[in-house]
Amino acid sequence: MKFIHAADLHLDSPFLGLTGLPSSLLATVRQSTFTAATKVFDQALAQQVDFVLLAGDLFDRAEQSVAAQAYLFQQFDRLDQAQIPVIVSFGNHDYLADQHQTVAYPKNVTVLGSQVTTKTLTLADGETVAISGFSYPQRWVASDPLPDFPVHAATDWHIGMLHGAVATGSDDHYAPFTVDELLSKRYDYWALGHIHHRQTLNQQPPILYAGNTQGRAINETGAKGAYLVTSDHGHLQPQFFSTATIEWATATLDAANLTTLTALGTRLTDWLASQPAAQPTLTALTVTHLQLDATDLTSLRQGEWLNLYLRTHARQLKAAHRYLVSVTPQVQPQALTAPQLDQQYWDQGAAAVFTPANLQATFGKLAQEPALADWFTQATQDATLRPQAEQVLAELMGKEDPDVS
Amino acid sequence: MYLNRLTIYGFGHFHDRTFDLTPGLNYLLGANEAGKSTLTQFITAIFFGFPTKKHPALRYEPLDGSRLGGEIAFTQGDVAYVVSRVAGPHGGKVTLRDVTHDLALPAATLARLLAPVDAQLFTSVYAMNEPRLGTVFSASKQELIDRLRHVGAVGSDFWLQQAHQLDQQAEAQYKPQGRNPQLNQQLREHRELTAKLAKADAAYDTYWQLLQDQQTLRQTQQATQQALAQQRAVTAQLTQQAALWATYTEWRRLGAADQAPVSGFAPEDATQLEQLRSHLTASTQTLTQEQQQLKQLQQAAQLPPLFQAYLPVAGQVDPLLTQLPAIAQAAQDQQRLVASQRDLEARATALEQQYAIDGQMPRPFSLATTQQVAALQDRLTVASQKRRRLQQELNQLNEQFQRQQPNRRQQRNPLADKQIVWLAIGLVVLVGSLLLPGTLFKLVGALLGVAIGYYGVFLVDSSTPASRELETLTADIRDSQAQLREGGQLVDDLNNQLDAIASAHGLGDLPVAQWSAAQGAIGEWEHLTRQLETTGTQVAKAQQTVTTYLAQLTQALPVLAGADWATVSPQLTQLQTLKQSLATQAGDLATTTDRLKSAQAAVDAAQQALTTFLSTRNLRSVEAFYQRYQAQRERTNRQQQRAALAEQLGDNLAALQQFSDHTALTDQLAQAQAQQAATQQQLDQTTTRLATLAGQLAHLTASGTQATLRQKLANLETQMRATTQDWLVKRLTSQWIAATLAAASGDRLPQIVAQASNYYGKLTENRYTEIELTATTLRVRRHDGEWREVSQLSRGTAEQLDLAVKLAFAVVMNQQVAMPLVIDDGFVNFDAHRRQAAYALLAEISHTLQVIFLTADTTVEQLTAGKVLRLSE
Repeated sequence: MKFIHAADLHLDSPFLGLTGLPSSLLATVRQSTFTAATKVFDQALAQQVDFVLLAGDLFDRAEQSVAAQAYLFQQFDRLDQAQIPVIVSFGNHDYLADQHQTVAYPKNVTVLGSQVTTKTLTLADGETVAISGFSYPQRWVASDPLPDFPVHAATDWHIGMLHGAVATGSDDHYAPFTVDELLSKRYDYWALGHIHHRQTLNQQPPILYAGNTQGRAINETGAKGAYLVTSDHGHLQPQFFSTATIEWATATLDAANLTTLTALGTRLTDWLASQPAAQPTLTALTVTHLQLDATDLTSLRQGEWLNLYLRTHARQLKAAHRYLVSVTPQVQPQALTAPQLDQQYWDQGAAAVFTPANLQATFGKLAQEPALADWFTQATQDATLRPQAEQVLAELMGKEDPDVS
Repeated sequence: MYLNRLTIYGFGHFHDRTFDLTPGLNYLLGANEAGKSTLTQFITAIFFGFPTKKHPALRYEPLDGSRLGGEIAFTQGDVAYVVSRVAGPHGGKVTLRDVTHDLALPAATLARLLAPVDAQLFTSVYAMNEPRLGTVFSASKQELIDRLRHVGAVGSDFWLQQAHQLDQQAEAQYKPQGRNPQLNQQLREHRELTAKLAKADAAYDTYWQLLQDQQTLRQTQQATQQALAQQRAVTAQLTQQAALWATYTEWRRLGAADQAPVSGFAPEDATQLEQLRSHLTASTQTLTQEQQQLKQLQQAAQLPPLFQAYLPVAGQVDPLLTQLPAIAQAAQDQQRLVASQRDLEARATALEQQYAIDGQMPRPFSLATTQQVAALQDRLTVASQKRRRLQQELNQLNEQFQRQQPNRRQQRNPLADKQIVWLAIGLVVLVGSLLLPGTLFKLVGALLGVAIGYYGVFLVDSSTPASRELETLTADIRDSQAQLREGGQLVDDLNNQLDAIASAHGLGDLPVAQWSAAQGAIGEWEHLTRQLETTGTQVAKAQQTVTTYLAQLTQALPVLAGADWATVSPQLTQLQTLKQSLATQAGDLATTTDRLKSAQAAVDAAQQALTTFLSTRNLRSVEAFYQRYQAQRERTNRQQQRAALAEQLGDNLAALQQFSDHTALTDQLAQAQAQQAATQQQLDQTTTRLATLAGQLAHLTASGTQATLRQKLANLETQMRATTQDWLVKRLTSQWIAATLAAASGDRLPQIVAQASNYYGKLTENRYTEIELTATTLRVRRHDGEWREVSQLSRGTAEQLDLAVKLAFAVVMNQQVAMPLVIDDGFVNFDAHRRQAAYALLAEISHTLQVIFLTADTTVEQLTAGKVLRLSE
């Protein structure tokens, strides 16, 4: 038996955290989710797999992408012509909503229902496979779906499909489960989706997140792809293959002894020459040990300098297959020691200011903007605001007394 | 910090003046316009800079044109400094010297030395005059609280400024009600993009609609294609049928004239006929040739007329000739039969003569009678035999006896008596044979007659040996004689019985011994009678045969008409003989004749065969056959042609037969074509619509508008978040600074308030005992415990409250900042008592910090404490 386990194709979804791209990269970025998915289906055809499992989030329903739908029709048709069945369980982004699915996917595609259903396939070599799973009926599935899954059927193989996250105990909206529960079903394989980071929850039987097929944000770094799973002496062996055409990466540049932006530019160009990427890579760079004056620092921090650099060094960037998403100067954390004010007053002030209520009040009407509200929630959760404020204060203190530092 | 000396280069109406001050309380006494306010402003200007030229009233440019500026010598932390400031950019040119260590210091150090006091704090707290004290009424409560709070923390001014800047920057980035700030612009762009995207997203519904339409149309297309294929097939079939209509018509025409097939007119029959005819022709030719040849031969050799007559009809005659021996035999038989008939008649007559009684033949015995007679005869025979045996025995005995007496008697052969009869028969035969025609017959007949006679005379004649022996048997003879007699009686008896029977049957006197013979004769007679009849018939038949033959012969050879057999027979024989002789002698002629005959026979056979051939087909002539044959052949041709046409028509034949006429077919074809065209059009429309749909779908799919907008939106959101983050961090930092300042001042504020309460009590002669300052309220408590709002206080009392707070602040903050208090005629609204109380308070405070009191009130000269300087000298 041989099959492909992929998840989180997120077709036609935009890349996040970008402020602009050179036109040469723009087309690649726009096509990247499709290109990655095509690689999955190409692999299915090349390997002549018995079936393909897509564990949710094929597309973002809210985005209503025509291109994504047209693409799926086209690719499913390809697999149909090769008589390769496709099992789809929709996730939190492409949750089941039948208002638009007036034209059904080709006959080789099985979309699992909102209740746990089991699809049994008989393969060319006579082996039988049971595949159990379900599709999200709406954005959230707060209950543990595992009790609804049957135990290992009387087939040669039994595979579970699940789009969800391991239960954390609170605020679980994505079909919370535990690995023990999955193991208790005694399946031969669990094809998981939802978490974009590829990871193995259990070695044998394999319980795996395939990760997404194309990274779309700076927190989705590294190789992205899907699993080609083959049977070997009664066990299923997953083998990763990469599909992403554009990678995301973080890097650190040591800017010790550099005091000007010009010097930083030179070092950055050297670094690009010495660290070329294998394929187009969106790189977020952190610069350490940088000593700049306040104006330069502000220019760097506000991205003005980066924009200039990107414009003037397009050739070097292209040669290195890198595009700099951001250049962040890392400032050494330092105690807030204002000469006239004791640390305790700063702490008291912070305690008064960085309260959820005050943050909310300060954020004010912006909370009505969904895009910002999400960011605000995240920023509040991650408590990133205070360090940034500290950074500002630190800089102000330097300004207050340039001789002291 | 305290000021040691003020040196004025030129400021207002002062020039080149020096004032030496003590670290404690200093009264600078001067009338109005003596320069009290100018001096206050001088101190402020030297420390914090000249106002810009936009505010000339505050610059106090020297009226006499001398150099603007001056210097202040002051002591801070046991170090003496001299600061001088003259006109120059950015608030004037500053020179700073550390007098103690004799060091020139950078101008910027001045601010640090003065910090956190700046111009604002100095003017609002340390440099007091009546109008400024009055601000307590014009200021909002919050402002007062803020000021109090701000002056509560050392260095707060810098932070306040930073906070203020941060707030300004933040406002440049975002204002909830603004339009131009960055984030506001971005939000607006975001809304526009979202609207655009929503519009582009409408394509989604369109897409599904198109997809559904496409699916429906594809089904329609498929159905139409199937229908079209079907209709095409129908049309093609009909077209083919229409094209075949001529063929079909021909087929039908051929079928219409069809006849039932007749056997016997096949080509092989024609061939056979042709063979027969050619055979006949050939035979006839041969015959003609032969006849000619024969004629030639005949001319050469004369032939008897009969033969000549014979030759033409040899075919007919020859069978007759071949029959000739048989006919001759028949004629001979006839004669023989006639003879035998006569013989039989004779024999019958003889028998009649012998046995007939009165011309009547005796009746034959019945069976019983025969048996009876037989029995009687047997008995008689037995008796006779016995008698004969006895007789024989007697005879033997007699013979034995006679042998002993030889030749006593000679027995005669009874057959010898019949010699005459045999002779007679022989004679008859001899004579009869002579009557036969032909020498041979006569000869044979004669020989037969002789033979019969010979037989009768010589062969039958024999001697019967008779022996007699009697001697030895004499006894036996006698015995036998006795027995013989006895037997004689029995025999007689039996004879009597027999006689009776004889009479009954009309046997007359016929001896019994002849009875059986008679019976036989009777049978023979009857037999003869029948034989006669038969013979008669045979004779008649033979005669008939001969007659018929003769008739045939006559028919063939008319020359022989009227001749009887006797005459014909020799002629025929002669003919035969001649034939034979001709055959043997005249080779050519014979051969020719033979050939002629065979030719004639061949012609006859051919003619016969031809006739048979025609008669079996019920025809009269060859022409009729050929007519029929031709008709048959045409029919066969037609049928073959029709079959070929039918094959050509194939399955269409049945279909074509459904149509009544060509018009019906063409009508249906036209109908089918119209239908096909309609379907084709429908299909074309469907295909066109599908192509349009595919184009629309491709456009929708490939437009990328959605993706572009979405990526734009994502990018914009990234920018918005960055802006928002920046904005929020600034706002928070500003808040943080404020909060920190509040926290820092929050410690001192109670001290200040307590001190202020104390001072306020002293200033108001204990009418008011307590000040309450919270974030929202500022009120004072009277000695009777009642609370008063600031607005309820009199002007003087309010100024006293302000003074008390400022003094308390300066005293409390003295640990961090030691700035001299400069009070310019601040107590004008105070009554005498309270003014004295105020002087007393200043004197108390001057122990802690330097007080420079500028006043026109000369009463200060009477005060014990303090150094008095006069402004006007």
